Amino acid sequence: MKRVTLVVALAAMSTFVAGSVTAQTLKTVRDRGALTCGVSQGLPGFSTPDDRGNWTGFDVDFCRAIAAAIFNDPAKVKFSPLSAKDRFTALQTSEIDVLSRNSTWTMLRDTQLGLNFAAVNYYDGQGFMVRKSLKVNSALELNGASICTQTGTTTELNVADYFRANKMKYEVIAFSTADETLKAYDAARCDAFTTDVSQLYAMRLKLAKPDEQMILPEIISKEPLGPVVRQGDDQWFDVVKWTFFAMINAEELGVTSKTVDEALKSTKPDVRRLAGTEGNFGEQIGLTKDWAMRIIRHVGNYGESFERNIGSGSKLNIDRGLNKLWSKGGIQYAPPIR
Amino acid sequence: MVNPNLDPRGYQPGGVPSRERRFRVTTWARANLFNSWLNAVLTLATLWLIWTVCWPLLKFLLIDAVWDGASRVDCLADRVGRDVGACWPFIGAKLPQLLYGFYPINEQWRVNLTAALGLGLLVPLLMPSLPYKTANAILFFGVYPVVGFVLLVGGMLGLEHVETRLWGGLLVTLVIAVTGIVGSLPLGILLALGRRSEMPAVRGVSIIFIEFWRGVPLITVLFFATYMLPLFLPAGWAINPLLRVMIGVMLFAAAYMAEVVRGGLQAIPRAQYEAAQALGLGYWRMMGLVILPQALKLVIPGIVNNFIGLFKDTTLVLIVAIFDLLGQLRAAFSDPNWAAPTTVATGFAFAGIIYFCFCFGMSRYALWMERRLNPADR
Amino acid sequence: MSEHGSSPVIRTTRNAVAVELSGVHKWFGEFHALDGVDLKVMRGERVVVCGPSGSGKSTMIRCINGLEMHQRGKVVVDGVELTDNLKRIDEVRREVGMVFQSLNLFPHLTVLENCTLAPIWVRHMPRREAEALAMQYLARVYIPEQAAKYPGQLSGGQQQRVAIARALCMNPKIMLFDEPTSALDPEMVKEVLDTMVELAMDGMTMIVVSHEMGFARQVANRVVFMDFGQIVESAEPEEFFSHPKHERTKLFLSQILH
Repeated sequence: MKRVTLVVALAAMSTFVAGSVTAQTLKTVRDRGALTCGVSQGLPGFSTPDDRGNWTGFDVDFCRAIAAAIFNDPAKVKFSPLSAKDRFTALQTSEIDVLSRNSTWTMLRDTQLGLNFAAVNYYDGQGFMVRKSLKVNSALELNGASICTQTGTTTELNVADYFRANKMKYEVIAFSTADETLKAYDAARCDAFTTDVSQLYAMRLKLAKPDEQMILPEIISKEPLGPVVRQGDDQWFDVVKWTFFAMINAEELGVTSKTVDEALKSTKPDVRRLAGTEGNFGEQIGLTKDWAMRIIRHVGNYGESFERNIGSGSKLNIDRGLNKLWSKGGIQYAPPIR
Repeated sequence: MVNPNLDPRGYQPGGVPSRERRFRVTTWARANLFNSWLNAVLTLATLWLIWTVCWPLLKFLLIDAVWDGASRVDCLADRVGRDVGACWPFIGAKLPQLLYGFYPINEQWRVNLTAALGLGLLVPLLMPSLPYKTANAILFFGVYPVVGFVLLVGGMLGLEHVETRLWGGLLVTLVIAVTGIVGSLPLGILLALGRRSEMPAVRGVSIIFIEFWRGVPLITVLFFATYMLPLFLPAGWAINPLLRVMIGVMLFAAAYMAEVVRGGLQAIPRAQYEAAQALGLGYWRMMGLVILPQALKLVIPGIVNNFIGLFKDTTLVLIVAIFDLLGQLRAAFSDPNWAAPTTVATGFAFAGIIYFCFCFGMSRYALWMERRLNPADR
Repeated sequence: MSEHGSSPVIRTTRNAVAVELSGVHKWFGEFHALDGVDLKVMRGERVVVCGPSGSGKSTMIRCINGLEMHQRGKVVVDGVELTDNLKRIDEVRREVGMVFQSLNLFPHLTVLENCTLAPIWVRHMPRREAEALAMQYLARVYIPEQAAKYPGQLSGGQQQRVAIARALCMNPKIMLFDEPTSALDPEMVKEVLDTMVELAMDGMTMIVVSHEMGFARQVANRVVFMDFGQIVESAEPEEFFSHPKHERTKLFLSQILH
């Protein structure tokens, strides 16, 4: 009798547990009528609310791309602004469907949290910002410089490794918050400021004289940033992954948000497969034939999204660098749609 | 000049003739601020301190501030041509978000209406001299929450449904703080009475409740309520995240309130209980008419302290992805369109002013109530 | 004026027993406060209880309206036996008024509100009626003009008279006084005693714990002497003061009378 009650209790508990892990995210999203997307609580260029309260940014665009692929409407997204502490918890407990929040792909996160990284939409890394008056053009000329960093982050460790490997001396001036660190650099208490390059461009705007700063070309760490989904739902994983690859392939093939209609009429085989006029790749992952065109029409291809949010069309003006296509000298490379 | 207060003629009833009072300020200063070496040094040190703190503050907030602008360039020292203090156009541009969050712009009148109704019912309730207190209380505690809920959430009576995930800024801060404050006081009173009860079951439950909620940090409570609770509920049940947070905050605050009220109850002499009992008053009448009025009056400072703390603790909801005033402010900081050297300082100054107004207002009101409730104290 | 929850026992005759204690024992932990107390007080009787401090006089009187619970024996008040039943105790308390040594007025209410509180909330009297009743009793204790004042603004003697009026507003059948004048300044004792004398003359059943022997002589039907939790002697005032029977009584009297 005791064993029976134990079994019944375990079965009851497992239904609770099972109820919270859905292998049916696409269906849930369709039924709900909107995608729930985890973003940051305010990261310039990546996810930030504009003056009218609409979320904009590079990561935000990616979520809108997924929504466009599913609903043909980029506005059908509900944004959940998450802090760095609870972003993964929110994904694990199904509060959000996809996390598009500047998250670095590491082995620990990929294997021990029950999550999968769907793609790398931004290859970031640590860099240095110096004043132009320092007349330095490369990080290798920073021997003996004083560097402002934030404590408790991997930036200090990366700086130590880099300077040791290049046999250079340096002095670390550390502060507890990013804003403090920036203020110290602004007050010329140190020669260089170091953090992830995407942050450097954003922080530059907060300085008194942004045009007198320059960002050195060296990247001294690997920070591949990309969207994250839960493990256990391969179909949803494919949807998110191939949304990204569609944007890359579109840029490669020269399809922009303005040339969508021409693409639909194109005769080139790879463009036809992307546009959905040939083959039924979209339906294989639960979407429609024109899934890729929906994305490009409403959000644009990878390059358009990049330039609009963080590149030359924005205040940040980040150079594409590693994020250029593979054919142009960068490392963004998508498997073909075929 | 002879100081009238130190006049060798002594105290003169009726005051000193005005001709002799003309130089009162300097003589007062001489008598009180500079009457000994130590006092003189302290006075100078204090004046210097005030000067070094207040003057830069004033300079930043008012004198060097920029009042007009459309984007970050208007707050840059190069463009303006002088040192720039606070960047008020930034606040101006972000003000709707700071006040309402992502509440749809054309529905914001509903928030305004809710606030106006709330004020209209609360202010008469807080003024002891106005009549119809019972009706007022029923309206504010019973009817207003329902009306406020309908107005803010919508979905009925032709009002568009606005999800709570879109609420933010001061709206969220006030919603959480007001429900926390209004809910924690009666609950706290019940818990305090329960803890002092002679029935072991009631006392046991009260003690467990109080010690549990006081033993865990508010962040843990919020985290648990938002992320863990859904795992324990059956799959179909979904409680609104904002509601979960409101309930968590209310229960948390009630535990603290219970201890404050219990302190007050302990201070009432047994004789008062006995006098009430001797008149034939039952337990609840005795508590409500005799004991609690006196006990609560005693611990007004403690109660208001709790309210003020709770009001500021609401910013912790940022941890669970709810945007209160500070959360909305930090999101506003990230807008590259407004990134400038003084943006962050301006934002926090603005938030500080708002919090100060509310908290100081509560504190002053409490002082006023205390003075008013103690007319018998001579 | 309606009575709420009347006792099932019918009280009719004027000579009915007001209070009866039979074999009452009470312990406070180890301390034996009441050691087999037997007392019978008839309607309209005035009993003054005296004795050294710690003799159990206050405890006994507080057992009569349930402020202390006796552990053995029977306490019957106005035909109702006091047990653990809270409803019964409340019924009894409505009919028994008490005046305390430490005044015990409610400081957050005016004098008038102090007096009308119980009639309104226990007897469910309309406010106007309760206020008229209160004014009537305040006049009877000669302080109607203080009705709007707070207790903190009155002298000790005035406060005690308000306490008496407050108790009277419930129209009790029995009045208990627990050393009502012991905490007052000497010049105010007289005004309170005068009020009590008038009350006695109107036929109220009174049990008074007091050291005021003048009052006892003037008004009491019986004087009871308690010592070590027991009633040692009980006699009419004349008898009691001139011919005390027990040694302890004599000793006590010699100490307080001069």
